[in-house]
Amino acid sequence: MSVISFIALILLVLVAAGFYYGRSRAIRLADGDTALLHSLPNYHGYYAGIWAGLPAFLLIAAFAMFSGPIVDRLTAIELHTQAVGLNARYEQRISSDPDYRELEQAVILLRSRVDTINAELDSARRSDRENAEQLVVLRQRAVELLNQSTRAEEDLRLYAQQVAVQVSEAGRAEGVGLVALAGFELEQTPRERRQLFLSDARRLAQGELASRDTPELRAAGAVISAYQANFRNVVAVAALLLGFAGLARAHMRVNVQFRARNSVERLITTVLFISSGLAVLTTVGIVASLLFESLRFFGEVPLHEFLFGLQWSPQIAIREEQIGQTGVFGAVPLFAGTALITLIAMLVAVPIGLFSAIYLSEYAGSRFRLSAKPVLEILAGIPTVVYGYFALLTVGPALRAMFGAIGIEDVDLKSALSAGLVMGVMIIPFISSLSDDVINAVPQSLRDGSYAMGATKSETISKVIMPAALPGIIGAVLLAVSRAIGETMIVVMAAGQGANLTANPLESVTTITVQIVTLLTGDQNFDSAKTLSAFALGLVLFVLTLIMNMIALRVVQRYREKYD
Amino acid sequence: MTDQAPKTSLGETLAERLPRRYRAELRFRAAGLGAVISAVAILLVLILSIVSEGLPAFTVHQLVLPVSLERELVDQEGDGTEASLRRGRYSAVLQNAMREEFPEVSGRRELRALFGLYTPLNSTRLMDEVLADPALVGSTHVFRMPIADELDLYLKGRLVQDRILPTTGTLGMSEQGGVVLASSSTNAFADLAEEMRRSIELEADRLLLRAESSRRAMDVAGEDERDRLASDAARAQRQAEALLDAARAETGWIELEGELPSILVDADGHTMKLSALSVDGRQVRGAYLLGSGNVEVAQNWSLYVVDTPETRRRVSDQVIAWTRALEDRGRIQRGFNHYLFANADSREPELAGVRGALFGSILTMIITMFLSVPIGVFTALYLEEYAPKNRFTDMIEVNINNLAAVPSIVFGLLGLAVFINAFGLPRSTPIVGGLVLSLMTLPTVIISTRAALKAVPPSIRQAALAVGASKTQTVFHHVLPLAAPGILTGSIIGLAQALGETAPLLMIGMVAFIADAPSLGLEGFSQPATVMPVQIFLWSDAAERAFEARTAAAILVLLALMIGFNALAIYLRRRFERRW
Amino acid sequence: MIEASPQQAAPLPGAQGPIKVAARGIDVFYGDNHALRNVSIDVPDRSVMAFIGPSGCGKSTFLRCLNRMNDTIEEARVSGSLCIDGREVYDKSVDPVVLRARVGMVFQKPNPFPKSIYDNVAYGPRIHGLARTREELDAMVEESLNKAGLWGEVKDRLLEPGTSLSGGQQQRLVIARAIAVQPEVILMDEPCSALDPIATARIEELIDELRENYCIIIVTHSMQQAARVSQKTAFFHLGSLVEVGPTEEIFTNPRDPRTQDYITGRYG
Repeated sequence: MSVISFIALILLVLVAAGFYYGRSRAIRLADGDTALLHSLPNYHGYYAGIWAGLPAFLLIAAFAMFSGPIVDRLTAIELHTQAVGLNARYEQRISSDPDYRELEQAVILLRSRVDTINAELDSARRSDRENAEQLVVLRQRAVELLNQSTRAEEDLRLYAQQVAVQVSEAGRAEGVGLVALAGFELEQTPRERRQLFLSDARRLAQGELASRDTPELRAAGAVISAYQANFRNVVAVAALLLGFAGLARAHMRVNVQFRARNSVERLITTVLFISSGLAVLTTVGIVASLLFESLRFFGEVPLHEFLFGLQWSPQIAIREEQIGQTGVFGAVPLFAGTALITLIAMLVAVPIGLFSAIYLSEYAGSRFRLSAKPVLEILAGIPTVVYGYFALLTVGPALRAMFGAIGIEDVDLKSALSAGLVMGVMIIPFISSLSDDVINAVPQSLRDGSYAMGATKSETISKVIMPAALPGIIGAVLLAVSRAIGETMIVVMAAGQGANLTANPLESVTTITVQIVTLLTGDQNFDSAKTLSAFALGLVLFVLTLIMNMIALRVVQRYREKYD
Repeated sequence: MTDQAPKTSLGETLAERLPRRYRAELRFRAAGLGAVISAVAILLVLILSIVSEGLPAFTVHQLVLPVSLERELVDQEGDGTEASLRRGRYSAVLQNAMREEFPEVSGRRELRALFGLYTPLNSTRLMDEVLADPALVGSTHVFRMPIADELDLYLKGRLVQDRILPTTGTLGMSEQGGVVLASSSTNAFADLAEEMRRSIELEADRLLLRAESSRRAMDVAGEDERDRLASDAARAQRQAEALLDAARAETGWIELEGELPSILVDADGHTMKLSALSVDGRQVRGAYLLGSGNVEVAQNWSLYVVDTPETRRRVSDQVIAWTRALEDRGRIQRGFNHYLFANADSREPELAGVRGALFGSILTMIITMFLSVPIGVFTALYLEEYAPKNRFTDMIEVNINNLAAVPSIVFGLLGLAVFINAFGLPRSTPIVGGLVLSLMTLPTVIISTRAALKAVPPSIRQAALAVGASKTQTVFHHVLPLAAPGILTGSIIGLAQALGETAPLLMIGMVAFIADAPSLGLEGFSQPATVMPVQIFLWSDAAERAFEARTAAAILVLLALMIGFNALAIYLRRRFERRW
Repeated sequence: MIEASPQQAAPLPGAQGPIKVAARGIDVFYGDNHALRNVSIDVPDRSVMAFIGPSGCGKSTFLRCLNRMNDTIEEARVSGSLCIDGREVYDKSVDPVVLRARVGMVFQKPNPFPKSIYDNVAYGPRIHGLARTREELDAMVEESLNKAGLWGEVKDRLLEPGTSLSGGQQQRLVIARAIAVQPEVILMDEPCSALDPIATARIEELIDELRENYCIIIVTHSMQQAARVSQKTAFFHLGSLVEVGPTEEIFTNPRDPRTQDYITGRYG
């Protein structure tokens, strides 16, 4: 880092020097009569400074962002080449080992048997519904076989591991280098743990605490830091060269006719344009990452099962119906839970928000309005985690006490009702401020027309203003619904975890967002359907809210255009 | 309608319907006012409940103990070097200090209970104090440490129901074989005896009821259930009878059995726990919790009742007795809870603080600010001032509007997949948190900046262009400065939103337990950290009751921060607002 | 319907025929702005009276006093005495809802509600509960549209939105909506300013027909229009009523030099 910061410092000096050089050269070329110049001297300075600094800084930024993965990759390759000998020896031992062959055969056999019985089970279930007994027997056998197969695989793995340890021990005795041993270890590590190996090596090389500390790791660390140092030096030299090359370019370009201002302004415009592209890039990033991981998920779990399955339990290893290694990913309980909580929230938020907006814009005097609006704004500014805690601390116990008083005892502290109520409160200001805008956009002439007919205020509001504002209000409610669907913390804290498929608001339910949080906090393994399912849920959430927002924004925009 | 007849009929129908219409009007208006009032009321309830829960956490009860830092324990090498001092047995020092307070305590279990009055982590704090001032070695040092979380709650009156009863006359106590007999000069225990007798009877009634219902359930239960129910019923019946025997007190004593309040008698530095009261209310029997031997005549004695039965609370009568004794001796002081601000997270509630989360929030906000504000302003400038009206810019516009409404958790998924998995940035760090929050805040900044730019009248631009300024000069010299206040306000509001955001940060692992605050420097950006809202979430999930109050206190800190932010925005808006 | 006892003010000099509206000493303030100063005028029944004058002279303000539309503006304040049929409009006992049912109003820009043509006309009868059955309501709608000269054009498309009509048709729809509650006075605030000449001519014709049954007050910027449709004209200037008299007289032989200047186009 220090080399890089040193280079950065030099570059800063170069930028300053470039500025003064460009400026003074322009003045000198014009013989002090700056009016002769196409652009002001300062623009020549900016031009030179930008060329001296920008390319080099971009290079350094790219280095800072991508050096880690590149170095890791290079290290992995180096370790791999070093370990070729050991690997070959290991392969040879394995292939010539009769015990290993035997174990391997057993695994293959068991696997094929599992496949057969699964197929049998499938056909039996599909063709013959009556024969439940046979089905049970088959299922039992399938589970048995699966367990056997898993056990055999485990045995095979352990045996291979044993062989690997022997090989590496033999290698150590022969005096094979630590780097080669490290490479061999990396090779033997399961794919998903290789990153951990490398990051441990990196930490050790930097003198930080790692999860393990072995001579092999330290050797790998040395390889990493060597690559890092080389890479850094190359980048440093390149950055310096770029800086000077930029200066040289500026030196050649600067003359009296040179349109320095236009060049600088073009650059500014480009920067502005790239910035605005970032918003698009974010969307692309969201869609790409969600789609990519979701497709991997749908490779393991069929789409229709995900969308229409009635049971959600990603943690359980063996599902009841089909034999396999994953849990059950039927997301309907989550959709139902989300819908239930959203419904409750809307039942709270729409009447209160809408009536507040009506009262504040049509009835309230200006002083009342000035003091009541900030209250709604405060409600809008409270972080959702605070609402979640409020649900946990006050609303949940209060609901239990209330329902206990009327004789309903089994109310969960975390229930759909408490989460929904609190979420409704969170959404009140959202609805009221959007409705307020919409109601204020209704032209005064319609109100006048109605009052002139002798209508009372409430008649004017409910018979003229509301029908006129209806599209806008529907848009506002749609936006609010999309917000409720995507809200996370309140439901995580107050709705519970149980994936109950229920319409009873007093039970605990779970939602799409809660499951995303549950699945992704703690250990993640991007090869397991469990982790990937979170991305599939994210995709559903994104698409759902996107559609609602599009509709809502369009409706609101149409409405605005109508009365503008 | 030229004739008069319809006119009068119009008047009549109108008048006839008027009261109904005005009632509807009133109802409508009341509904509107009700809606506003309920919103205000909900806000009040929310704030009140969090303030009332959180305020006690700003104070803490501290044990103030003289600890003797004996050289043999603290400086084992005897050279006073840091290495030697670090190896000192500070927990033994603390334990000695506690033993000094209660020399009569012996036996491993009792001692362990006694040392449970504080968390062992405090020995590290003692070590830090010694390291900071090695001259303390060999002296007696007054050490302050927070009392165990449960006892703090007890002392704040939030753990148990308790009361002190008035006493009359004098009291004598005598101990024989571990059993203490106390006699009052009057019938001072009479009321209490009566109360206990009634409680026992109530308890017995409850047991009888349970026995009855078990028996009734037997009639409908299956074969295997029946046996269990029968034994249940029999046991309840037996217990009830035993209780009633004790309560009827044919022996002249009411034995305190079952789930009953604990009754402690304090006299002359002794504390006894009652196990039986005499029916006449003159005598009680029990055992010492504090002190030993006889007390001839105590003039001032007190009766202390803990109504929450011992089995239903996590502090024993013995610990309560010690705590009260320490309080009497002035060894416990209530003061400002500086641990809440000076410490990072901890498994022990009494030592847990928000410092780490606060630092994490600051670091994350710095990244968010430096990314989202410039990029947002640039984007808005491009769209508002430069962009040609074409399909691409239309797409960007629609895109930004939609991005503003994408659920925040989706940004977390993006951060996890792109920044952590694809770019290999370190998990749980402010840099990734800042990146994710910047992307989330970006649309807010863009939208408010565009509004501010739109509010600058075109006449300004035309004036600048007319004197020959280039487009870029016009924008940067004239439009941007005029729009700056609006941009600033919008950015601050966006940042305040990001400050309160939790969900996306859970995705990128900022939810871990982190006991060290990140450093407020460049390296802090890549150290594991958490932020205020996530800390609140973590604490709200913790098992210890003492974390409840701390959660609310952390919320108050967060709200104070956000109020500060918003007040700044309002101030800036008032200060620089221009109306065209 | 207005409980206050009739109190006929002494007619102003030059009045003829039955007086419908009598104003004495009306002042209107919008906050600190003194918008109307001491206006006294008599408006005869079953005739058209035109208010003319330059922009901001208070003629619209005065018009909005007559059906208390100024009540909907928070800081408006009215003083003086204003009687319709001898009953004080600003009396506490007068309900603006009832008053407005008797005094209809048509605005500058046609403002049909975003409902069907039928619902627009039926709006008044519905809120006031004037029709007991569907047939009665149908009859009222037809009659009002007929009176507004619109029935023939819209009878086949009653369920289309009122906003789908042309500007002139919309304005006649609004007039039909106003007369559906059988008012006695109709106020028109520059009803033709947003219309083309042909539509304007239709409206003027309509005003002439309606004169038979209603007391009509029309605010207009067009002196030709005032001359064409009204029997009496009042000239407002800077918040004061300058002159009122038979239309012919005002246009041919004004008494006040300011009126003279205005109608000869020296300002306004």
